[in-house]
Amino acid sequence: MTQLVLGQVLNGAIIGAMYGIIALGITLTFGITGIVNFALGEFMMIGAYATYALAERGLPYPVAVVPACLIAAAAGYLSNKAFFRFTRNNLVNGLLVSIGLISIFESAAMLLWTATPVEMHFVLPGALRVGDIGLPRMKVVVFAVIVVVIVATYLALARTWLGRAAFAYAQNPEAAMLMGVHTPRLESAVMLYSTGLAGLGGALYASLYSLEPAMGGVYVLKGMEAAILGGIGSLMGSLWGGVILGVIEGVGSIFLPTAFRDAYGLAVLVAILLFRPSGLFGDE
Amino acid sequence: MALEVRGLGKRFAGLIAVADVSFRVQPGEIVGIIGPNGSGKTTLLSMMAGLLPPTSGSVRWKGQEIQELRPDIIAGLGVVKTFQNPQVFAELSVFDNARVASHLALKRVLGFRRGLEIVGAAGGIEHRLAERVGEVLALCNLGGAADQLAGNLSYGEEKMLGIAMALMCEPELLLLDEPASGLGRDEVRNLASVLDKVHQAGTTLCLVDHKIGFLRGLTHRVIALNYGEKIAEGPPEAVLSEPAVIEAYLGAGHARA
Amino acid sequence: MTGQALLWGTLYALPLFVRSDFLLTIFIFTFIYAILAVTFDLIFGFTGQLSMFHPAVFGVSAYMTYLLATSYKLPFWVATLPSAAAAVVLAVMVGSICFKFRLKTFYFAVVTLAFAEMIRLVVMNWNSVTNGTLGLVVAGKPTIYWPGSGLVPIKGSMGWYYLTLVALSLTVLICARCLSSWMGRCFGAIRLNEDLARTLGINVFRYKLLSFAIGNALASFAGGLYGYYTGYIDPGYLGINQSMEVLAMVLLGGQGTLIGPIVGSLVLTGLPHAIDLRAEMRAILYGAILIFTILVMPRGIVGTLNAWRAKRGP
Repeated sequence: MTQLVLGQVLNGAIIGAMYGIIALGITLTFGITGIVNFALGEFMMIGAYATYALAERGLPYPVAVVPACLIAAAAGYLSNKAFFRFTRNNLVNGLLVSIGLISIFESAAMLLWTATPVEMHFVLPGALRVGDIGLPRMKVVVFAVIVVVIVATYLALARTWLGRAAFAYAQNPEAAMLMGVHTPRLESAVMLYSTGLAGLGGALYASLYSLEPAMGGVYVLKGMEAAILGGIGSLMGSLWGGVILGVIEGVGSIFLPTAFRDAYGLAVLVAILLFRPSGLFGDE
Repeated sequence: MALEVRGLGKRFAGLIAVADVSFRVQPGEIVGIIGPNGSGKTTLLSMMAGLLPPTSGSVRWKGQEIQELRPDIIAGLGVVKTFQNPQVFAELSVFDNARVASHLALKRVLGFRRGLEIVGAAGGIEHRLAERVGEVLALCNLGGAADQLAGNLSYGEEKMLGIAMALMCEPELLLLDEPASGLGRDEVRNLASVLDKVHQAGTTLCLVDHKIGFLRGLTHRVIALNYGEKIAEGPPEAVLSEPAVIEAYLGAGHARA
Repeated sequence: MTGQALLWGTLYALPLFVRSDFLLTIFIFTFIYAILAVTFDLIFGFTGQLSMFHPAVFGVSAYMTYLLATSYKLPFWVATLPSAAAAVVLAVMVGSICFKFRLKTFYFAVVTLAFAEMIRLVVMNWNSVTNGTLGLVVAGKPTIYWPGSGLVPIKGSMGWYYLTLVALSLTVLICARCLSSWMGRCFGAIRLNEDLARTLGINVFRYKLLSFAIGNALASFAGGLYGYYTGYIDPGYLGINQSMEVLAMVLLGGQGTLIGPIVGSLVLTGLPHAIDLRAEMRAILYGAILIFTILVMPRGIVGTLNAWRAKRGP
């Protein structure tokens, strides 16, 4: 039994890290620029397919990841310049732009690769043993990379002038501008980075699972759940929220029907929103 | 038929905003509450209207304790408060603002039968409501602005609209939070005359304000607060010349022995 | 006023001039989705609550109407009534929780979405009743009661056209009656300034719940109609994309109006089919229309028209 639970906890944490990196993108975007990027899952999809396409052309996986992230980030930058920046602090408009982009990106992926799932060739063989459980090495690598990226982001923002500028902008854009913060550039930077993060998530996802054009939809929802759970605006909270969500889903599936996996996370989410809306790590 | 405030207090995590304040308001009175900034006046009024739960003490309206009740229920009992920063429905016209505020009155007149209005069978109620809106707006000297968007009104007009909306609720006790603040001299005169008319019609008034001249001419009784405590109570002239009150406003050097 | 008369007159007279089954089908789908859109707008555009709960009542009612009709040998129109009652029960349960805790826009949307998803999971896994992901095939035609002729089956495009148009008309009529009364004023007050509404004696919780219950109850009829018309019911009815489509229709057509959602439904249902494209291109066009609307016409088609008319003066 303990092995079962441990296995689910570990696997849940790894999946949760994936939720976490999307959550980080959501929290960064909304927290700093006030834009709701509900299409973030699509940039994950772009990163994933880009990695696949580059690897198919012969690029070794670790090398393919970098341009894939850049492609996702570029797509994010363009989406912001063209559309998202007009939806600042407007939840409904942001939602509608996101719905539109989801339609467009998903269909584009369908045209290029069809709805048939595609898989990358085996990236990293071998497994680590934790007790009786075998964890594929690639999964551990994915987990480690995501944790490092999130912690690095946190440190970069919490300890540097960049973070202070971002925080000031989030509170009062005009004042920040008057203090010399180049606000459009900051906004572009945030969008670039958050979609790049999503792209990275996608690239990592591609090493483990099969891809299909609709993959972004599930992850943006999970990412949003994780971001809320951890507390919107809390950077480390997005990692914790993701991991906790993944673990709840995994452990819940042991004692309760697996079919309702998603519902366990949702139930916890609702409870958090009713009793502690600022999330586990957000400020009141 | 009175409002009784008994030992009312409010504490915000270490800061005592209101401390053990007690007083009564009799029906038909006009009571003023004065005090320097930070003396707890607005907090006191908010507690009386159910917008803020007190940390100690009680507020009794006609013998019933109301401090824990919801604001809409308190309004239904006859106690209505206006806001220092005027709260209006900016996207609606002045007329529509007042008409929204007629909900309470409509409930009183029709009760559950107001469901009939949906199926079109409530008789001339809409017509009567529109007439009443016209009356109240005229009383507040806003008749000419009836079609303007509330968001386009001047500050003074907005404050008047706030009072008009409160009047639509047919209050027995009207609580006013700094109604004269930000108003020019003519507007203050206008306000005083409107409040006088409201009082003549039978409404009890309790208002917080800074403008001494305005209060002197209007109120029957004044209560003075300082640092959340009541320091004086009585007819306006008496309270305004009390040394403790003068000291609270202007500092110790000005108080006469 | 005359604009409205013109619109409804045209819609009712349309089948006299248009015989193409293809076009009539577009209108039928438009009308069914418009019921969803109008009732969503009641909750969102008029009362200011962004509800993601519509797919839940849409789907539950589709299943319930069909299952009640077949299990208890009830005529279609009778079976829609308990389904509507179920929608009210669900709405009151979910709404009470949300409004009691005074959830703000974004969080209200998330919680209603969470509840809708949980209901979808139940529907998807309750194989004995709903046949799970395989869905149910609806065999049989809906019947309505026509005085003098008894139970009349609806068949053919023209029959369906009028059935759905009448359902839409009734929905709009009920919403309009509510909105032009004191109830509508309370909804508007809640949307504009909830705290002020409270101090004026409006029981905000009660009216939010009322709006939510009425909107969901009326929306449930769309579920029964859609199930019977397409002949197939599956858990996808309760999916989040229904929420997205309805939101898009309302924003495109104009939120805070009753005609706007109908216009939005017509455009988003009809336009992609009016141009002969493959499915993916159609979806891209759909996305482009949405983005274009928000950037160029944030008030939607009807909203922009109204504003333009108001500026031109009387």
